[in-house]
Amino acid sequence: MNSTNEPRRSTSSAAIQASLKRRYARERRFQWYGRLAVLTGFVFLFILLADIVSKGYPAFTQQYIMVEVDFDKEQLGLAADATAEQIADADYLGLIKRSLREMFPEVTSRSEKKQLYRLVSMGAEYQLRDMVMDDPGLLGQTREIWLQAHSEAGSYLKGQVAADSDQADRKVKDQQVLWLDQLRAAGRTESRFNTTFFTAGDSREPEMAGIKVALYGSFFTLLVTFFIAFPIGVSAAVYLEEFAPRNRLTDLIEININNLAAVPSIVFGLLGLAVFINFFELPRSAPLVGGIVLSLMTLPTIIITSRAAIQSVSPSIREAALGVGASKLQTVFHHVLPVAMPGILTGSIIGMAQALGESAPLLMIGMVAFIMDAPTGITDPATVLPVQIYLWADSPERGFTEKTSAAIMVLMGFLIVMNALAIYLRKRFELK
Amino acid sequence: MDTPTVFLLLIVLSIAGFFLGRRRSRTVVAGEGGARALHSLPKHYGYMAALWALLPALGLLLLWMLFETSILANIVIGELPASVQQLPESERGLYFNQVVSYARGAVDASQLSDVQVAAAEHYRELLAASGKLKALLVALMAVIGGLLALRRIAPALRARNHVENIFKWMLFACSFLAVLTTLGIVLSVLFEAIRFFQKIPATDFLFGLEWSPQMAIRPDQVAASGSFGFVPLFVGTLLISAVAMVIAVPVGLMSAIYLSEYATRRFRSVTKPVLEILAGVPTVVYGFFAALTVAPFVRELGESMGLSVASESALAAGLVMGIMIIPFVMSLSDDIINAVPDTMREASLGMGATMNETIRKVLLPAALPGIVGGILLAVSRAIGETMIVVMAAGLSAKLTINPLEAVTTITVQIVTLLVGDQEFDSPKTLAAFALGLVLFFVTLLLNVIALYVVRKYREQYE
Amino acid sequence: MDSPKALNSLSSAAGENVMDTGSTQETVASEAAPRIPLDIRDHGSVGDAYETIGTPLVENAKMSARKVNVYYGDKQAITDVSLDIGRNEVIAMIGPSGCGKSTFLRTLNRMNDIIPICRVEGEFSLDGEDIYGSGQDTVLLRARVGMVFQKPNPFPKSIYENVAYGPRIHGLAHNRAEMDEIVENSLRRASLFEEVKDSLDKPGTGLSGGQQQRLCIARAIAVSPEVILMDEPCSALDPIATARIEELIDELKENYTIAIVTHSMQQAARVSQRTAYFHLGKLIEVGETKQIFTMPRHELTENYITGRFG
Repeated sequence: MNSTNEPRRSTSSAAIQASLKRRYARERRFQWYGRLAVLTGFVFLFILLADIVSKGYPAFTQQYIMVEVDFDKEQLGLAADATAEQIADADYLGLIKRSLREMFPEVTSRSEKKQLYRLVSMGAEYQLRDMVMDDPGLLGQTREIWLQAHSEAGSYLKGQVAADSDQADRKVKDQQVLWLDQLRAAGRTESRFNTTFFTAGDSREPEMAGIKVALYGSFFTLLVTFFIAFPIGVSAAVYLEEFAPRNRLTDLIEININNLAAVPSIVFGLLGLAVFINFFELPRSAPLVGGIVLSLMTLPTIIITSRAAIQSVSPSIREAALGVGASKLQTVFHHVLPVAMPGILTGSIIGMAQALGESAPLLMIGMVAFIMDAPTGITDPATVLPVQIYLWADSPERGFTEKTSAAIMVLMGFLIVMNALAIYLRKRFELK
Repeated sequence: MDTPTVFLLLIVLSIAGFFLGRRRSRTVVAGEGGARALHSLPKHYGYMAALWALLPALGLLLLWMLFETSILANIVIGELPASVQQLPESERGLYFNQVVSYARGAVDASQLSDVQVAAAEHYRELLAASGKLKALLVALMAVIGGLLALRRIAPALRARNHVENIFKWMLFACSFLAVLTTLGIVLSVLFEAIRFFQKIPATDFLFGLEWSPQMAIRPDQVAASGSFGFVPLFVGTLLISAVAMVIAVPVGLMSAIYLSEYATRRFRSVTKPVLEILAGVPTVVYGFFAALTVAPFVRELGESMGLSVASESALAAGLVMGIMIIPFVMSLSDDIINAVPDTMREASLGMGATMNETIRKVLLPAALPGIVGGILLAVSRAIGETMIVVMAAGLSAKLTINPLEAVTTITVQIVTLLVGDQEFDSPKTLAAFALGLVLFFVTLLLNVIALYVVRKYREQYE
Repeated sequence: MDSPKALNSLSSAAGENVMDTGSTQETVASEAAPRIPLDIRDHGSVGDAYETIGTPLVENAKMSARKVNVYYGDKQAITDVSLDIGRNEVIAMIGPSGCGKSTFLRTLNRMNDIIPICRVEGEFSLDGEDIYGSGQDTVLLRARVGMVFQKPNPFPKSIYENVAYGPRIHGLAHNRAEMDEIVENSLRRASLFEEVKDSLDKPGTGLSGGQQQRLCIARAIAVSPEVILMDEPCSALDPIATARIEELIDELKENYTIAIVTHSMQQAARVSQRTAYFHLGKLIEVGETKQIFTMPRHELTENYITGRFG
């Protein structure tokens, strides 16, 4: 052993030994930072989901109040031989008001009456009208009918408002609380699954608002997006992977695709507004333009994932097909694409999920309108689910907060299904 | 005839072209040994005839669809009385919109003047005539195309190569669409932005410290033209992005490091997809979360500490944006760190370095360019993010770097200026496009630099 | 501490190619090519209970390993190996690829700890201290037992920083002058100093392959290890660079104990005093290098050194 080396060796060992405690403490600290970071992500996710679900789940129930309605012809101002049109135009609101007054005969002052009428939904008169239209025999009879509660009364019945809180802080006034408690004690209130939410369009009244129109709009928009983006995206991927010569033009295309993938979505909205609406004068607010804009936005995603899928097809398949005399095009369409299809579909579904959740570019092309009737085609004015969420989130009524969260839950449900499908496809693809 | 019918007709014609082409290819070689004498299979001749019939006519149909409305509108507007012609453009547009709605049967005549009803009738006639003409021309084009192809069919014609060439060009056209899209974006924002700069000098826009695009109601008011200083918007955008980065970079980077270097494989396989859910949440959901939950919380928290916090503070919007970007930073850094060769880890661990020394002194410095590139991409995403700030950031442009105050961003202003009733040609509307131009170029610059840096980084270890 | 980080390449390789963690496909192919490779399994398999021929144990050993078994998951990579490494000797470990020689080398400074599925049994000691004992610490152990890898792997830092890395993390230099001295001495011992003295601030990755490997050796000796483990240090180098490394090993053995895994029998013969022959995870024969190469006592050793299989 070297004599000069030996002392240094022991000193270095000792020096290392001395530093160990500090270094291990630092190591543990560092690991804790890592755990903390992962935990932070989890906590954020949990708070986000818990917040949405806790706000949204009450929206799936709807409150009803049983009211005894006397379909008195005189009260409705209808003659014995009233036409259907007259029946439709009759004063059902007055009917409801009278029924409510009869239930609480002690109410006399104007302001109290006004509060009393606010127990049931503005939509109740249409409910009665439809009943009579369906069965004119009801006229002259008296029935006990479940009428939808006003959203504020409903929110008290759901227990979202504490009766002992300060009256000034809540929309439901003490008098109404008293009435509602009486009704509940008499078994005249009921909670049901909220079907209105899925069957109605937008409305100014929270209890009458639903997502049907938005769902239709999203469906039509995605349909347009898919039929544009999928064929074009796959074709572009096939070209770039199989046919593109290595030259400047191809480079230009590739650079463009990569950059478009990172262009803010709102810029696509500006493109849609300037080109499709202002220049080509396509209809505003329509799923057609929305779909075109979203397809341009999702194209890069579809192209990039499809290229990866095509790339992963083993070259031996190509060689085999070319070897038996198939042309390049036949090879691609008969042999390469079928093998790559699960991967391509996975990418396309992810692209579609992106498009389904996107709202910013659609604001630009006017899909923010207040729309009550479901679109029947791709050129009708429409809105989509995320934009509906945006619109409701802006509404001050408490009832809309609940609806917004519920709509978010529906949207997230769709996204989860789409992503699960993509994961399933990818798993199957990997097994092969 | 309406467009779907014409389209259907076109498809039928093109299918007919296929069968005719196939039959003709068989007849031309009937006397010369049958189909073997053909260069290609009979179906290729069929495809050729079908494509010749379809493509030019389809192109015509698309062009017609794109320009029909604007041309017809110009004709009808041109025939309106002079008093209407002299209306300002926005009112004339409104006037004409009523005509169109009536022609479509959306409104009844009671809301319109007689002139409008007459114009609407005329519009309806023109529309019908245009429909007929469209069907006729498209059909004619298809027939001519198909016949031309049929005439060319001969045994020596390389139909297969011909068809495949057409297909290749179609595939090329699809990928070229990416270039057209970029071009479309640049031209549309540039064109409108130039019109904006004709009204507001570019220097006022770029260096102005005040942004209040609201036009004065009375002409004698001060600043009747509004002021369009871009600086406060840019500072606001950067402020919110900076808050987002302060959240996203440490959390995302440390998560990536922990998951790739410390966590067991099982922990990683569960944790990573769960955290990536954050990336799949639509931005409108984050916006809702920011506006209704985080902003009030931040405000109350601040007030309990004796700070005055705006209800639409940059902090709340930035915080939520940071949450959104965490998975983005995480998966980018994960890729980058994994690209560092394992031999580096072995070398460092092999001489007695602890894992964190290895990470901090070897892996991170080696991965630094890639990580910087990834962060640039994340910044570009934060700058372009719209919904969160539209819902949770302020509207008034305040030049401040205090995250507790409300600031506004480029994207918020674009949305505010363009949503709702638009006055065409007012600087207010055009300003949105000028902002769009800036947004596009800033993000483009960041992306190009980031993609270049990341690519160089990857090449280094390949 | 050493975490269960899954070194991707290693753990995935461990599934298929169980033994010899740093397995080298290229070298295997190039060495096997000229001869007709026989399947090693045809040549007298050794039973589970076997005895190593020769002299695996020595007096006053620097490091010793007893009854070592190593598993990757369910598969056994090393079976019942006992071997001593003498002070200031160069011991070569040879054998066909997948024989467990690299795995064994890595157990000596616990580099196997970083592979989650790897399990090590047996007794190891360094100067009589238990290597795998609870009082032992991988940081200190690896500072004392350094390692040089198959492929030169300098950090993407300057030459100076590469060498200074170890002393810096271990806190061995108290000021710039001390660090300069350590760096210069280490580079001199690795006989690289003269070539790089004017470019100490240039990146280490810019050197040639042979220089990079010598830089890695300088980096390893900068923390004054007692033992240096070399895992096929020349497999990625050309013959001239290989010769330089071999000369260097010869000089280093004055001060250090060296264990080298090699695929090249000539190299083993040139640089080592003792040679250990591994076969399918078992230590077949150990002896004076001269004796192993001239008079092998086991049939498998003979077959291997005469090139019947590689």
